[in-house]
Amino acid sequence: MAENGSQDHTAIPAQGWLRPLAALDGLIARLEAAVLAAGVILMAVLSVANVIGRFVFGQSIFFAEELNQFLVVLITFFGIGYAARQGRHIRMTAFYDAMPDRARKWLMVVIALITAAAMFVLAWYALAYVQSVLDTGRVAPALRVPVWVTLVWAPVGFVVTGIQYVMTAVVNLTRPEVYVSSSVIDSYDDSPTEV
Amino acid sequence: MTATMLGVMIVLLLLGFPMMVPLIAGSFVAFFVYMPIPPEIMVQQMIAGIRPSALVAVPMFILAADIITKGHSADRLIDLVMRFVGHLRGGLGVTAATSCALFGAVSGSTQATVVAIGSPLRPRMLEAGYKDSFTLALIVNASDIAMLIPPSIAMIIYGVISGTSISELFIAGVGPGLLILVLFSVYCVIYAKRHDIPVLERASWAERIDAVKGALWPLGFPVIVVGGIYGGIFSPTEAASVCVVYAVILEFVIFRSLKLAELVEIAKSTGLITAVVFILVAAGAAFSWAISFNQIPQQILGALGLADAGPVMVLVAISVAFFIGCMFVDPIVVILVLTPIFAPLVSGAGIDPVLVGVIITLQVAIGSATPPFGCDIFTAIAVFRRPYVDVVRGTPPFVAMLVGVSAALIFFPQIALFLRDLAFR
Amino acid sequence: AEWKFALEEAIHEVQGVYATKFKEHVEANSDHTIAIFPFGTLGESADITELTQLGAVQFANASPGFMGSEIPELNIFLMPYVLPENPAVLADFYKTSPTINETLAGKYPDQGLELVDMYPEGEVVMTTKEPVTSPADLDGVKFRVMTSPLLVETYNAFGATATPLPWGEVFGALQLGMIQGQENPMFFVESTKMYEVTDHITYAGHNTFTTAVIANKAFMDGLSDEDRAVVQAAADAAYDYIIDYQQGLTESAEAKILEAKPEMTVTVLTDEQRAPFRAAADRVRQKYVEMVGDSGKAVLEGFEADIAASKERAGES
Ligand code: NA
Ligand code: NA
Repeated sequence: MAENGSQDHTAIPAQGWLRPLAALDGLIARLEAAVLAAGVILMAVLSVANVIGRFVFGQSIFFAEELNQFLVVLITFFGIGYAARQGRHIRMTAFYDAMPDRARKWLMVVIALITAAAMFVLAWYALAYVQSVLDTGRVAPALRVPVWVTLVWAPVGFVVTGIQYVMTAVVNLTRPEVYVSSSVIDSYDDSPTEV
Repeated sequence: MTATMLGVMIVLLLLGFPMMVPLIAGSFVAFFVYMPIPPEIMVQQMIAGIRPSALVAVPMFILAADIITKGHSADRLIDLVMRFVGHLRGGLGVTAATSCALFGAVSGSTQATVVAIGSPLRPRMLEAGYKDSFTLALIVNASDIAMLIPPSIAMIIYGVISGTSISELFIAGVGPGLLILVLFSVYCVIYAKRHDIPVLERASWAERIDAVKGALWPLGFPVIVVGGIYGGIFSPTEAASVCVVYAVILEFVIFRSLKLAELVEIAKSTGLITAVVFILVAAGAAFSWAISFNQIPQQILGALGLADAGPVMVLVAISVAFFIGCMFVDPIVVILVLTPIFAPLVSGAGIDPVLVGVIITLQVAIGSATPPFGCDIFTAIAVFRRPYVDVVRGTPPFVAMLVGVSAALIFFPQIALFLRDLAFR
Repeated sequence: AEWKFALEEAIHEVQGVYATKFKEHVEANSDHTIAIFPFGTLGESADITELTQLGAVQFANASPGFMGSEIPELNIFLMPYVLPENPAVLADFYKTSPTINETLAGKYPDQGLELVDMYPEGEVVMTTKEPVTSPADLDGVKFRVMTSPLLVETYNAFGATATPLPWGEVFGALQLGMIQGQENPMFFVESTKMYEVTDHITYAGHNTFTTAVIANKAFMDGLSDEDRAVVQAAADAAYDYIIDYQQGLTESAEAKILEAKPEMTVTVLTDEQRAPFRAAADRVRQKYVEMVGDSGKAVLEGFEADIAASKERAGES
């Protein structure tokens, strides 16, 4: 859960042929952060505009509910990748914390690989789901946009999250410290942190 | 099969997997081993799980709490309470508990309360001589009160799922919330006496008036939420967004305590927490759907022979089931899974669904502060940077008091229903 | 085999009564069994439609008003003053209308679905805080509607401030005065206690809530001729039963409401009072044709012709 001031950074060493990959990873991190912030702020603005519209102007924003639902999906699926990158996914660490470093490291590799596998399987199912919605040609009643456009962020989010967990396994195998995510070392320090 | 599934989930949980993995693994078993269903449905149900529009209140309250904690509003509200009770034995502890209740009136979320009240108060309590284990346990458990005092995310979700009036739930939560506040306050006083915690100097009335003046703007939060909801201007869900806008106006325009760049940073961190919580809501929804589709709850309840149970037995069963469920799974997920399962028993026994909602909310509140799984525990771990065991060490006396309140509610429903009946009947 | 039937309503409401009859008939006349999943147990309307498309459940209620996002023409069922106001004409219309049973039914297979049956659930009434006898009475009234552009258009045309709101918030919003009105069929007003938080019920005859039973297409195609006949016969039996059952359902719901709340006023608008509402409905027709296009126009005209035929059969001119 530590951030260690390393947010938005990538675990890929920015050298040689990996450089474009590192740049891409950094770009994705920034995009995720931007979507999270914009999504949350837009949600607040939209709800309050709806209140003002209804109360002051007697006119509700008829698409507010649909757009908010879309934003929730967007935030959730952009956020899970970002949370994986920051090592922020909620875990029950009582037993894990009690283990020695070496055991924690190997356990983390196993956890990361199994989690990555689960994410990739879900990405596959999510793609199948989006495809089935695409086939029906369903259109959101108020926003009048194809419904699949609002759902396609699910497979994307699962793939990005899966990749983050693969990278977590890789950094644990290639570096001496225990990593809870591709960019965060597993330790408690005394500096206060954001939540 | 059900036992195998739960066994796998518990092992994955205890090994330290991200919480979503045990839920997803449970769904895999339920969807593809138990009774093969097209795999798309698992994702359909995950997304359906985060679709209820009431869930929008979660990110909004977290955002508002984060803004007022980073700014001045939270500090000023705490100062106000301390000027009045700081000189009393255990006053700081009582302040923490009371602040949680006050903050509960503006936030719907226990996690937001841990952040907003814990961040400014914990250093002051440590300074005053309270042990960290007591301080952490008090903050984490007193945050339960936030869930019982309106608005409450747990009640919104229960209301949506069970079709129960959310406003009646809100009013019914106030009584038990205040009862818990009183119990915790008494415990704080006893603790302070036993550990001989020094008191603050009694504030003069001039200082108190100063504090009231300083807190005038932040006191607008409860006024706006209560006035707005009960004045018919906005829904409880929209109240959360109105709080955000009020918080932005206070901290960025009136107090000028924050810069616009910080708002972006806070919004990003809100989005992150939202995603972390909602992916669990989503995974829990898919899991609960599979359980419902396979009619497992009916089998388990059939085996328990509760079909013709009386009201007390049903309420005890609900309390125990939700308590155990919340020990392991995110509270919101537990509401999503268990509420529909118990619905037939509740209507069969002729129990007021509002009472059930309050009892469930209390269990869920207890669960969110109780090991092994507890989102408040995790929030505390994240905010205060303390390992798991430190955060949970001081919890047993608090949990005991909360369980006592649960029992009292079953036998004296009027604790919850009195205010509701006064307002609506 | 066990077939699954998912509903949009509770087991004791109209859809539950239909499904129970359907189940009884199927189980009495074949080796198959039916498990009924009432509202909420498998998801909301959109969810159970998808579950039927994906084949996880075999049968479901998919009210055409909720299926407009898949088959836009179905939005016609949300429009005011399209369906006949006389119940006998209405019952005949669903059964005989070629526009429903051929044109609209022909659009379901593209969605992987088959239309099994369509039936009414009762006249939609307005329940409000203040009495309503003309569009002027709705001026400034925040009126809750489902999230649908046509319903928003309808109530704006009626003079109200159409306010889309999730169902879960409606009771509280009425109670605290955030909204001052909502519409639903009478039995639903009774079962969901909407009358506790409003004071006036108005029959304006503007709509009848229509629901449809759909089935997974691959499942239906895979049935033996014998099983198909059993399904068809079960649907016919359930249709007749539900039409009978509804005789007086609205009245009995009204009686229950008046018993629980004697001060509730119930107003049936006269033809004269309905005229301005009918006139306002024109705007909604234009919106429908604009949204759905030529095929929408054809369906609208088809409905008018079919309803005229039904009226003739029912001896109404
Ligand atoms: Na609260
Ligand atoms: Na817990």
